[in-house]
Amino acid sequence: MSVGLLVDVMLGLALVGLSLRVVTGQSLFSDIVQFILFGLVVALSWSRLGAPDLALAEAAIGAGLTGALMLMAYRRLVQGGGEDAVRIGPRPLLALPVAALTGTLVAVIGLVALGVQRVAGAAGDRVLEALPGTGLGNPVTGVLLVYRGLDTLLELAVLLVALLGAWAVSGDAAPGRLHQVDRRTPLVGALLTSMAPLTILIATHLLLAGTDAPGGAFQAGAVLTGCGVLLVLTGTLRPTAAAGLVTRLLLVSGLAAFVLIGVGAVALGRPTMTMPGTWAIYLVETAIMVSIAVTMTLLFARSRGLAPERS
Amino acid sequence: MTSSLVYMLAASAVFGIGVFGLITAEHLMQKLLALNVIGSAVFIFMLTVAGTTPEGPDPVAQALVLTGIVIAVSATAFALALMVRIVQETRLTSLWGRDDED
Amino acid sequence: MSPAEAVGLALVVVGCGFYGAGTVGLLRFPDVYSRLHALTKADNQGLFFVVLGLGVLAGHWRVALLLIAIWLVGLVSAAVSAHLIARHARRSDRRHTSRTARP
Repeated sequence: MSVGLLVDVMLGLALVGLSLRVVTGQSLFSDIVQFILFGLVVALSWSRLGAPDLALAEAAIGAGLTGALMLMAYRRLVQGGGEDAVRIGPRPLLALPVAALTGTLVAVIGLVALGVQRVAGAAGDRVLEALPGTGLGNPVTGVLLVYRGLDTLLELAVLLVALLGAWAVSGDAAPGRLHQVDRRTPLVGALLTSMAPLTILIATHLLLAGTDAPGGAFQAGAVLTGCGVLLVLTGTLRPTAAAGLVTRLLLVSGLAAFVLIGVGAVALGRPTMTMPGTWAIYLVETAIMVSIAVTMTLLFARSRGLAPERS
Repeated sequence: MTSSLVYMLAASAVFGIGVFGLITAEHLMQKLLALNVIGSAVFIFMLTVAGTTPEGPDPVAQALVLTGIVIAVSATAFALALMVRIVQETRLTSLWGRDDED
Repeated sequence: MSPAEAVGLALVVVGCGFYGAGTVGLLRFPDVYSRLHALTKADNQGLFFVVLGLGVLAGHWRVALLLIAIWLVGLVSAAVSAHLIARHARRSDRRHTSRTARP
C-alpha cells in the first residue's frame, strides 16, 4: 500500500466520519460546523483525485459559502424565536435499512461502472484534442465556456432565479441590522484594509489564471463574494429595501454578456454559443465573476440591495 | 485497491448516511444539511466513476461537477430563505406537524 | 531521499506536532479564553512550520514566498477572529454569571 493510497483511505474515513457527525450531532450549530469541516475534507479529496479547479470551487463555494449561508440562516432562526434551533434526536427505527440499502446500491453501481472499459472516442479525450484550437490551456474552462457553454448559461440563469426566489419568499419585510461589529471595533478596521483589497486581487488572479491553469470565473466569483460578505458583516455595506439600478445591471451582466456573445456569433455566420476569440472568453468570464459575486452577496445578506453606509 | 475505488466506496457510504439523515431529521435545516451531504457524495461518485484521461480526470466530468456545486449552493440558498420564512410564519421548525396543533 | 527533502519533511512533521498540541488544548482546556490561546498560538506556529517545510520541498523560491504570504493571511484572520470571539464571550460573561475557570 503506497503512501498516497494511505492518505486516500484516511480521507475516505474522514468523509464518512464527518458525515456521520453532521447527521447525528448534538445541536444544530455543531451540525453546521461539522458540515463546513466535511466540505474542507471534500476539497482535499478533489485535490487528491487530480481536480484542482474543483478543490478551489469546493473550498470557496461548497464549504465556505454554504457554511456562511447556513450560519446566517441559523442566526435568523435564533433571532426570530430563541430556542427554535433546538432539535430532538433522530429516530433510527425505519431509516437504517433504507440507508444501508441505498448505500449498497450506489456502491454496486460504482463497482460496475469502474469495471467498464473506457471508450476510445470519449468526450473528454476529444476535448483534450481540440483544446489547443481554442487558445486555452485549462480543459475545464474550455468545456465550461466553449464546448458546454449552454450549460454554463443555464447555470447562471439558475443562480439568478434562486435570488429572485429568495426575494419573493422573503416578502417585503424591512431588512434588519446584519452587522454586529463595525470599523471602529479594534482590529476590524485593519482586517478590512488588508483583506478586502487582497480578495479582489486574488479573485482577479484566479480569473486570469483560469484560462491556462486551475482557476476560473466561478472560483474567482466565490472569492469576490468573500469580500462582499466581509463588507456586509462589518457594516460597510448596509442592506437596503430596494435594489438599485447598478445592482440590477451587475446581477444580469453575466447572463447578458454570455447571451449577447452567443447570439452575436450567429450574426457573424458561426454556430450559436461559439466564442469568437480569447477576448470574448475574458469578457464573459469577467461578467460571470461579477454577477456571481453580487448574486451571492445579496443571497447572503437576504436583502434587495446593498449600499455603502452614510456616516 | 486503487484510490478511485476508495473514494467511490466512501462516496457510497456518505450517500447512505445522507439518506439516513434526510429521512430521520426533524428540523428543516437538518434536512438541508443532509441534502447537501448527499450532493457532495454524488459529486465525488461522479468524478471517480468518470474515468481518467492521460492528463488527469475527465474534463467534461469536472465541468459538470463544477456546475453542480454552483447549482447546489443556489438551491441551498433559496431553500434556506424558504425555511426561514416557514419558521417565521408557522412557528414550527419541522414539517411533521404535531397532533395538538393544526 | 535528498537532505533537502528530509529537512522539509521534518519541518512538516514538527508543524503537525504543533497542530496536535493545539487540538489537544482545544479539547481539554476549560473555557473559551484558554482554548483561544491554544488555537491561535499553537496552530499558527504549526502553520508556520508546515509552510516552511512545504517551501523547502517545493524547491522554488517563488512558491515558498507565496506560501509565506498564505501564512501571513492566516495569521491576520486568526488574530481578528480570536479577538472577536473573546470579545463576544466577555460580553456574554458580563450578562450571565462569569464562566471563566476558577483556580
